[in-house]
Amino acid sequence: MDEEQFKKFDWSLIFICIFIFAAGVTNLYSATYTEFVGRGLRFWQSQLIWFGLGSVVALVIMLVHYKMLSRVAYPIYFSNLILLALTLVVGKSTLGSRRWIGFGGFYIQPSEFMKLSAVLAMAKYFEAERVTSGYKLRELLLPSTMILVPVGLILLQPDLGTAMIVMLTFISMMLFIKIDKTSLMIVLIIFGTASYPVYRYALKPYQRQRLVSFMDPASDPKGSGYNSIQSRIAIGSGQLTGKGFKKGTQSQLNFLPEHHTDFIFAVFSEEWGFLGDLVLLALYIFFFVKSLNIAYVSHDKFGTLLALGIIMIFFWHVFINMGMVCGILPIVGVPLPFISYGGSSLITSLIGIAVLTNISNKRFMF
Amino acid sequence: MSFLGQDEQIREYQFRFRYLYICLFIAFFILISRLWYLQVMNGDRFRQYSEDNRIKKVKITSPRGMIFDRNKKLLVDNRPAFDLEVTPQELYADKEWKKTITILSKMVKMPADEIIDTLERAKGQPNFRPIKIKQDLAQEEVAVVEAHKLELPGIGIQMEIKRTNLYGDLAAHLMGYIGEVNPTELPKLNKLIPPGGTPYNMGDVTGKFGLESRMESVLRGIDGEEYMEVDALGHRKKSSNKSITSSLKPKASLPGKNLILTIDQDLQVAAQQAREKLYGNKQIGAVIALNPKTGEILAALSQPSFDPTLFSRGVSTKLWSELLNNEYHPLRDKTIQDHYSPGSTFKSITAIAALEEKVIDENTTVNCTGSFRLGNRVYHCWNKHGHGVVNIRKAIKESCDVFFYRMGQRLGIDTIAKYANMLGLGHKTGVNLAHEEAGLIPTEEWKKRRFGQEWIAGETLSCAIGQSYILTTPLQLANAYAAISTGGYLWKPYIVKYIESPDGRILKEFQPELLSQAKISKSTLDIVRGGLTAVVNEPGGTTYGHRIPGIDAAGKTGSTQVIRLSADKIHTKCESMPFNVRDNGLFAAFAPPDDPTIAVAVIAEHSCHGGSGAAPIAMDVIKTYLQKYMPERYSDEAIKAKLKSGTLAKTVKAHLKAVEDDDEDAVRTNEINVEPNPAGPASPEDND
Repeated sequence: MDEEQFKKFDWSLIFICIFIFAAGVTNLYSATYTEFVGRGLRFWQSQLIWFGLGSVVALVIMLVHYKMLSRVAYPIYFSNLILLALTLVVGKSTLGSRRWIGFGGFYIQPSEFMKLSAVLAMAKYFEAERVTSGYKLRELLLPSTMILVPVGLILLQPDLGTAMIVMLTFISMMLFIKIDKTSLMIVLIIFGTASYPVYRYALKPYQRQRLVSFMDPASDPKGSGYNSIQSRIAIGSGQLTGKGFKKGTQSQLNFLPEHHTDFIFAVFSEEWGFLGDLVLLALYIFFFVKSLNIAYVSHDKFGTLLALGIIMIFFWHVFINMGMVCGILPIVGVPLPFISYGGSSLITSLIGIAVLTNISNKRFMF
Repeated sequence: MSFLGQDEQIREYQFRFRYLYICLFIAFFILISRLWYLQVMNGDRFRQYSEDNRIKKVKITSPRGMIFDRNKKLLVDNRPAFDLEVTPQELYADKEWKKTITILSKMVKMPADEIIDTLERAKGQPNFRPIKIKQDLAQEEVAVVEAHKLELPGIGIQMEIKRTNLYGDLAAHLMGYIGEVNPTELPKLNKLIPPGGTPYNMGDVTGKFGLESRMESVLRGIDGEEYMEVDALGHRKKSSNKSITSSLKPKASLPGKNLILTIDQDLQVAAQQAREKLYGNKQIGAVIALNPKTGEILAALSQPSFDPTLFSRGVSTKLWSELLNNEYHPLRDKTIQDHYSPGSTFKSITAIAALEEKVIDENTTVNCTGSFRLGNRVYHCWNKHGHGVVNIRKAIKESCDVFFYRMGQRLGIDTIAKYANMLGLGHKTGVNLAHEEAGLIPTEEWKKRRFGQEWIAGETLSCAIGQSYILTTPLQLANAYAAISTGGYLWKPYIVKYIESPDGRILKEFQPELLSQAKISKSTLDIVRGGLTAVVNEPGGTTYGHRIPGIDAAGKTGSTQVIRLSADKIHTKCESMPFNVRDNGLFAAFAPPDDPTIAVAVIAEHSCHGGSGAAPIAMDVIKTYLQKYMPERYSDEAIKAKLKSGTLAKTVKAHLKAVEDDDEDAVRTNEINVEPNPAGPASPEDND
């Protein structure tokens, strides 16, 4: 990187993410400072280590031209697919699902990376396409299959949250590149009619229960509705200015479940209040606006689609996580980027940022 | 390097970006609105919910008031009890928990299987909650467990308050017992809470019987409360920052008020000892003593009894079923809840009626031949040889049945009933105790109403000697004799002398309440009292053999059949009959006759005789009372001096003679008789 490049380098996304991550790790400290991850590590320490590792990966990605990614898109996609399949066979089983696969004492979640791989594969696929008047159902058959296979594998783990993110990201991308109107109608009708059989037979009982308690959390306040109710209490009790750092009783006294992963936003809201939430949301909004700009000004189709896909991944994570924590969406296990504890999620997010920054910086090179 | 037409496509895409921005802002608008709704619009409510989550109000149970006798002798107290508890979380954390249980089972002498069973049954509870393994450990057990606590993970000793009756089963019916509130009582109790009182909840205790129940609102204190911070598992946060809970002020508990009774425990102990001397453990009956000038109850015992202490923390089903199945009804207060035929003790009332109605005077005589014929039926005197010529004094003294048959014949049942009612018989005394029975004084009209039958003249004869339909409670009998002793003043018996605050101030003092004054002339009462004095103090009197020399008393014995006997068994010796069909012995008395300060009624079921079975108990109570409260006349020295000046030799000689021929005042009759019936007045049937 020469001096000129350095001057032109787009630091904005990186700074926004460092801010969000700083808020996240502070919040994680408050939520878990009495607990250990294992091996004598605190959660916040472990999270910092993951951030360091992720930054190295991100740096590497920023150093190569993103067009390189176009060349390796399919190999990455297929290797990830193989990893996903392997996970189902040799993966580590925790809490009734197989999501982790080990490489010499160190575990990753292939499904996390699949989000990026799928977006990469889609960007690659549609880069070569020439359709402008809207895609027909037949033309969407191949890309749909490319998405549905990993989604199916992820559902088998099972990991409904991640599968949903991949699916929603794909759908958002498809809507963006335009689908033929009649085809869209057909898809909607198929989805509409399929939803009941899916609800009735494909969902696990606990997932069904979550939907029921989303509609009426009071129906089982100590059971399936417990998380939702306690999380709303945590957020609401933060009031305008919050209870203060390390003073959120809902999380400190363990009334709030999963307070370091999926429900961490409730911890933040409880301790920092509505004003704190506004700041955090403003950072996210800033992040999305900035990223959308990157996609908008990108000079090639691959870059635009890749950026867009990554933005969609982030968006759905943020919206579903916050929506479920504050009770406007049913409970689905989806982490909040940069805030929730978790290595795979953090590294994936950092890679996403790296790719976006990469796209942003290379746009003048044509 | 760019593809053909790609620029157009990108421009097309760029146009679509505006939708993305719109979607983004809508999504964030939704999130922010929701947060505004939760945190700003409803923040107060959720803050309250979160406070309710973490702050638990802990009740500080207030101690119940204590109960004292009239001289401030402590009768009922709150004493610590030690329970053995096991916390499964800590127990099972140790790999060798089975060994711990084995050691524990030896320490508290309880089979290991039983301990494991108890733990198994509590499996549903959160495992950090201690489980009660054994209640009321003995002191040595507490010591040994405490000493080895470190080697016994998960084992603990919990102190609780136990309501303790210091005299065990003595006067248990009067003190009553406590127990946990049950769901049906709950609304009733909560309606009766005094202002500022603590509402009842499940798990609270309440008085269930006797004074504990009657005086519930006085004895129960006001519970306090404190606040503590807990986590989601209910663990108390020890290190919690004080500022969180400091705004919520803890409230100290206020102990219940104390009761000071009219009872003199020394009299109760004396009565109990006298009964034990006579009957050992097999005591069935009641003792009641009153102050005839005020109605204060001085002693009230009912046997068989039970120890209320065993009830205070939940009675075991085994004990409960034993008490329920005991044929002598230990849970009934025989002083007020059971009816008895008063037998010859009723003759005083018949005598008063006869004198007041002027059917006889002091000198009227009747010749007793041992039996009395009315129509084609023969009514027997207890003395089959007859008493010869008797006037009223001798008739009372020797309990001549034939004399009173005649009186009954002349008076008629309604006149007898009039005087019985005047002396408080046949209706409740109104004592402040639950389940008091009214007794029964029959009239002609009553029989018509009850059975639709005409009164039969023969029934009057039986009633005149206290048999047939007549039923009284021991308390009524004592109160009637109290009225006779004091010139007809009938007081409402009462049991609580005053209520005292926990710090010893008198809050409320109860005053004697005069129910009525019987319109009986002094001369009549003097004659009857003379007769009653003779019963105890003159040779030939039915209690002469059981008097205590130097202790002045007046009284009347009675013995009543509990079953109907066929004619040939009328004079069968009582002692040779099976226990449960033996006669009841009664004695009603007052002392000293010239200035009565105590009236006593004793019933000893199946004791055969009033003289030997009941009178000694009454005499011991009287002696204890007189020596304690009238020492100038009845201290041992005073009595010695009195006896020395009197003719001791003569007394002893008379005593020996009396032993031979008294003590048999049971009139054996095949006339109807009534057994004390727990279900209320029996329905006697007429025969012949």
